[in-house]
Amino acid sequence: MKVIECKDLTKAYIGKNALNQLSFSIEENKITGLVGRNGAGKTTLLKIIGGFLKETSGTIQVFSERPFNSLNVSAHSIFVDDKMSFPPALQLYELLEAAGSFYPNWDMDLAERLFDYFSFDRKAYHQRLSKGKTSTFNMIVGLAARCPLTIFDEPTTGMDAVVRKDFYRALLKDYLAFPRTIILSSHHLDEIEDLLEDILLINDGKKHLHMPMEELKEWAIGIKGATATVLEWSDKKELIYKNQIGADTLYAVVKNDFDEPSLMKASLAGLKITSVSASDLCVYLTSESKGGIDNVFSDR
Amino acid sequence: MQIAEWIETEIMKGHFESDQKVYSQYQLAEMYTINPATAAKGLNLLADEGILFKKRGLGMFVSVNAKEMIINKRKNQTLKRLVQEVVLEAARLQMSEDELIEMIKAVQNEEGEQ
Amino acid sequence: MSLVIANLVDIVKKQYLFKLKANIDSFSSLIWIQLLALLFSLGGVGSTLASSGYLSIEVKYYSADLVIAFTMIWAFVTAIIITTKPYRNQDFTYVTNRLSSSLANIIFLLTASIIGGITAMLVNNLLKIIAYFIFNEQLYSFQSGFRELALGISMTILYVFCISAFGYLVGTLVQVSKLFILFVPVLFFGTILLKTSVQKEPFLTSIFKFYFFEPSLLLLLLKILLTSCLFFFTSIAILNRMEVRR
Repeated sequence: MKVIECKDLTKAYIGKNALNQLSFSIEENKITGLVGRNGAGKTTLLKIIGGFLKETSGTIQVFSERPFNSLNVSAHSIFVDDKMSFPPALQLYELLEAAGSFYPNWDMDLAERLFDYFSFDRKAYHQRLSKGKTSTFNMIVGLAARCPLTIFDEPTTGMDAVVRKDFYRALLKDYLAFPRTIILSSHHLDEIEDLLEDILLINDGKKHLHMPMEELKEWAIGIKGATATVLEWSDKKELIYKNQIGADTLYAVVKNDFDEPSLMKASLAGLKITSVSASDLCVYLTSESKGGIDNVFSDR
Repeated sequence: MQIAEWIETEIMKGHFESDQKVYSQYQLAEMYTINPATAAKGLNLLADEGILFKKRGLGMFVSVNAKEMIINKRKNQTLKRLVQEVVLEAARLQMSEDELIEMIKAVQNEEGEQ
Repeated sequence: MSLVIANLVDIVKKQYLFKLKANIDSFSSLIWIQLLALLFSLGGVGSTLASSGYLSIEVKYYSADLVIAFTMIWAFVTAIIITTKPYRNQDFTYVTNRLSSSLANIIFLLTASIIGGITAMLVNNLLKIIAYFIFNEQLYSFQSGFRELALGISMTILYVFCISAFGYLVGTLVQVSKLFILFVPVLFFGTILLKTSVQKEPFLTSIFKFYFFEPSLLLLLLKILLTSCLFFFTSIAILNRMEVRR
């Protein structure tokens, strides 16, 4: 079953399209990573899925309903980010109780255990929490709600390394026990890639690629060697990324559709073939100019 | 595929005997904090190679001659690739064949002493 | 996966209880405002002095009008506050859609009006008691008996509710465009100023007469309820199209 389906989804702000003809679908009970550069449209997309924002054109269906103003979508999904808004009059524990009254699958036991593990004070107030603690609290609400569609938009903002690791593990463990559709957006793909089944990469409001994580890991290869040899060997292929090292060495990333013998030939020709990590690849695929930051400093 | 390699090593070490059930994709996912789909892919890879076999509804089990298969595979693939690298590097350094073989022998002796 | 269909009535109920808890502060501000009004009223809202020969009579009017007026202002402000962004965003943290959010708000405002109305009338009686015991004045009350009190309370509640409906609409309009922050007061004071320049009954006075000088109780009830409904429907229609958490 498809939990999310959108077709030609467009969101226009004054003078700019935040989303541009985006089409994709997300299957039930998969963890999908949403990645992209700053301003690529990740948050806009997630807020449309959550029913907060209205699409300008195209269609979007969440649980086979248009999410904007859908009570069903709201009841079966939760949107977690560091800007979640809670009434200032209520204490943290009261906020958990309130969440419990709204979400049918809410697990108070899990919420309390996480709450105590991260040493929250039941009588503390949400708006006085630090950045990292805010994210941690919101994450607890997101996990314990056990919504069939759980959306985490940059959930680890401000968390320290230990808490981030705990969060990833808590997320996975609870997902294994109670499978559900999860969308996780993050700038730290290297941290979350092991958790993901699928990855959706968007750039400038458009879909760049959407595939299983395992495929992405083998989607491209890096070749390093003498410039002339690299260029000759990668003949006619688009260089996703290239980096000139020293006088005569080139590191290039190309799409991996080589067969075993031709890779063999490459090694024999003295080229070093390496795999390209998913996070590096996403950076290469979405960098504005192929030369990267070095181009800013060249020709000065 | 790290999961596949890890299970292979476990089998080599004798932690899993033939006909014994290996971890499920969910156990592996939990052990390594990885997506169960990734773990399943590792298991299926080994099943495709015949090192594991599926029992419907019961899970994955170690094949009778899993150990030999792993040894053969590692010889023919992993070790061969390593040797290739060594030979290529030796060629770049203009070492003779005898020199290279001497070197390998020397390393082998050192390892033996330890 | 089988999803239970979300029930609007159920969600509105939950949201209403949540709002009562979350907005508890607005009730404490009500108490302060009414006490303040009480303090202002203690001197009497009006007095007449009559004397003939050795006899002099001073009549002071004590009235809860000021308390009711302050309660109305409180209801107006409360209604505006709950339409602001932080409050709408809070709803969307949990389960809601725009309709359920507004319905819960309306029930909340009704509750606020009921509490405001009852306390206003109680403060009125408190005022009389204070006047009697502390100032030692001879008391003549116009209204007496349970019927009059009940009528007074219900009318106050209705008026306060209507004002809160107006506040909800004003708050909603301000959410659409900040220009309404300017527009509404300009309209308000503009019609008052019009009185001096044009020799005609000002708009505001006729509105006041329309709602406050209606002799028929039934008609008055109808007028107030219809007006409140109109305000709320308009607000819901506007809010229903608005995005949150932009």
